[in-house]
Amino acid sequence: MRKFFAVVKREYVQRVRTKMFIFVTILAPLVISLFAIVPAFIFSLRAGGPIKIAVVDETGSIYQRITDPLLKDRNQAEEEPAGDNANVLNANNRSPGRVPDKFTDTRFELELIPLNGRSIEQLRSELNQRVRAEDLDGYLILPAKLIQGQSPEFFGRNTGDVFTKEHLESVINRAVREERLATANIDVKVVRELSQPVDLRAFKVSERGEERDSGEGFIMVFAAGFVIYLTILMYGQIILGAVIEEKETRIAEILFSSLKPFTLMVGKLIGISLVALTQLGVWGLVLAVFAAIAAPELSIRIPSIAPIVFVYFALFFLLGYFIYATIYALVGSMVTTAQEGGQLAMPIILLLVIGFYLAFPVIQSPDSSLAFWVSMVPFFAPITMLVRIVTLTPPFWQIALSLFIGFGTVMLLIWIAARVYRTGMLMYGKRASIPEVWRWVRQS
Amino acid sequence: MINTNPSVKLDHVSKRFGEFYAVSDLSLEARPGRIYGLLGPNGAGKTTTLRMIVNITAPDSGSIELFGRQITSQMQDRIGYLPEERGLYKKMKIGEQLGFFAELKNVASKGMDERIDKWLARLKLSEWKNQKAMALSKGMQQKIQFITAILHEPDLLILDEPFSGLDPVNVELMKEIVLDLKSAGRTIIFSTHQMEVAEKICDDICLINRSRKVFEGSLREIKQSFGRNSVALRIEGGDGILKDPALVSFIKQHSDEVEVLLAPGASAQDLLERLVASGVSVSKFEMIEPRLNDIFIEKVSEAE
Repeated sequence: MRKFFAVVKREYVQRVRTKMFIFVTILAPLVISLFAIVPAFIFSLRAGGPIKIAVVDETGSIYQRITDPLLKDRNQAEEEPAGDNANVLNANNRSPGRVPDKFTDTRFELELIPLNGRSIEQLRSELNQRVRAEDLDGYLILPAKLIQGQSPEFFGRNTGDVFTKEHLESVINRAVREERLATANIDVKVVRELSQPVDLRAFKVSERGEERDSGEGFIMVFAAGFVIYLTILMYGQIILGAVIEEKETRIAEILFSSLKPFTLMVGKLIGISLVALTQLGVWGLVLAVFAAIAAPELSIRIPSIAPIVFVYFALFFLLGYFIYATIYALVGSMVTTAQEGGQLAMPIILLLVIGFYLAFPVIQSPDSSLAFWVSMVPFFAPITMLVRIVTLTPPFWQIALSLFIGFGTVMLLIWIAARVYRTGMLMYGKRASIPEVWRWVRQS
Repeated sequence: MINTNPSVKLDHVSKRFGEFYAVSDLSLEARPGRIYGLLGPNGAGKTTTLRMIVNITAPDSGSIELFGRQITSQMQDRIGYLPEERGLYKKMKIGEQLGFFAELKNVASKGMDERIDKWLARLKLSEWKNQKAMALSKGMQQKIQFITAILHEPDLLILDEPFSGLDPVNVELMKEIVLDLKSAGRTIIFSTHQMEVAEKICDDICLINRSRKVFEGSLREIKQSFGRNSVALRIEGGDGILKDPALVSFIKQHSDEVEVLLAPGASAQDLLERLVASGVSVSKFEMIEPRLNDIFIEKVSEAE
């Protein structure tokens, strides 16, 4: 036992002390929060000056209706009391599938081009020149029969700017509808009231009563699955590297002259699992502190999690870790270099990725038979069963069965891997073939 | 107080990998207080034999006894092994590394640090204790690996090509330690394919070739029984005498001297008398022992 603990201690202490470990442990939460903040920040940046657009208005009435919403800051426009700003019809503002407002927060400069008896073709060639000269970013033609359904046309330098295009479209839409209502003598205010959008509020019913769930639940499930996926992948690679190091540097032979290969392999797996748990523990603590201190300040709601979920998280993490780490150890003892190991490990990663993607159908219907079966397959269970537990906790016997099958598989894998490891670690110079490996497993 | 019962005893041991026999029907005995040379060309089966003695692999047939009892994995704590293929953890500090290997041999934690310091000092590596292994030269790493093999004061020390790649100063340093351990009554098994090295250090030898034992015995006996007389000569003239088949059976020309193998029945005395009688000036006349290498070549060709 002393030898086993010596191996566990070495793996743990040598890894936890590295700068890389400290760096990743401390920085990962920071990086993750940066990933949440930075994209929003970048999208809010306005590159360059306002977009200059010339408008040719053949209807004679729409231009007035589009100037206000285009020239005013959108957010400001929305906050203005409805009565003061009767021209703006915001009914369409929250239609599903629209890009959030902050992404289309673009400033415009408008210029009305009077027709003055010229033909559209004349005006267009004139405006085209101004666009080419970069005097204008584009121009809009509102045809005379716009209200009757003729399409407006936009000519611009950068038609790839979908945000601007969509913004213009929605503003013209609104203006046209407004104009039509005005023609039909319907009060804009009435329409506004009638077309008030609904906001579907979702509540989660659990043992703990009803709880408002407006997306945080999904994020939690997704985050849990993702953390498991990523940590298993990361620590699997660490195991692979550690085994290959001992083989490549021929330390294995000295080690095997002092302890049993099985003791060494299991000691290594457990030592590195403790490193992973330390890291996850630190992250969990950071999350808890964040939830307790920062979240109320920032009015971010963190959904309450039953303590048992943390226990399940740890159990299923360990299950996934031992399944994949054992396979990685087996692969490491078969190959001669890290590159070869990377190639041979590809199918394992694929298995893990499949497990990760299976989380999506499982989130949608956590009590379906698909969800049941994939959460019983040991290679997928760590992610899929955890997702089921967080979304719609299955009966306890299912969780227990999944863990039972999983840890049974771990035992079998360790038994196989130990046999391959014992021989593979002392074989230098060439990669072991599958028939060879099979022979090592069968012989006593 | 030297115990003369064999501390290592192999009895008709065989090991094969698939169809390939790495060791066939090998029997040998190594005794305490002596250095036992396991010799043979590359691929003869030396490393496989050593791995079986260290209990890394098990023989397919035959038995291995250590210290008078059937081999068990607990006995590994009494063995020090310096394999031919050896390494260190590149990113681990030397001191910690030695501590780890000692723990794997069940060395008590108390006094372990003093023990590490003592050996680092003896091998002139004290200032490297807190350095990572990758900062050390290859020769220094080899000395560290040597320490891992002896730190737990093993009763049986197994060294596989321990001097390869070392400079002469360090070879002397290590040899001195090995001889100390020998006089302290430890059993030392020394494996090499360099016959000249083995000749200088071993008490007993076992030559193996193509998985089989060619012969075994004490070095002195082997050389004596190999009744072959060679003389190294530096002479002027006398070519006719050396060509006499009744006197000389084989001549080997070196840069400034000749080596002759005396014909059966002829003695060195006869040759010297003939040379002096015919007025040849002799500046060197030296009897040379049969070299292990020559013995090996002859034995192997005999066996085939």
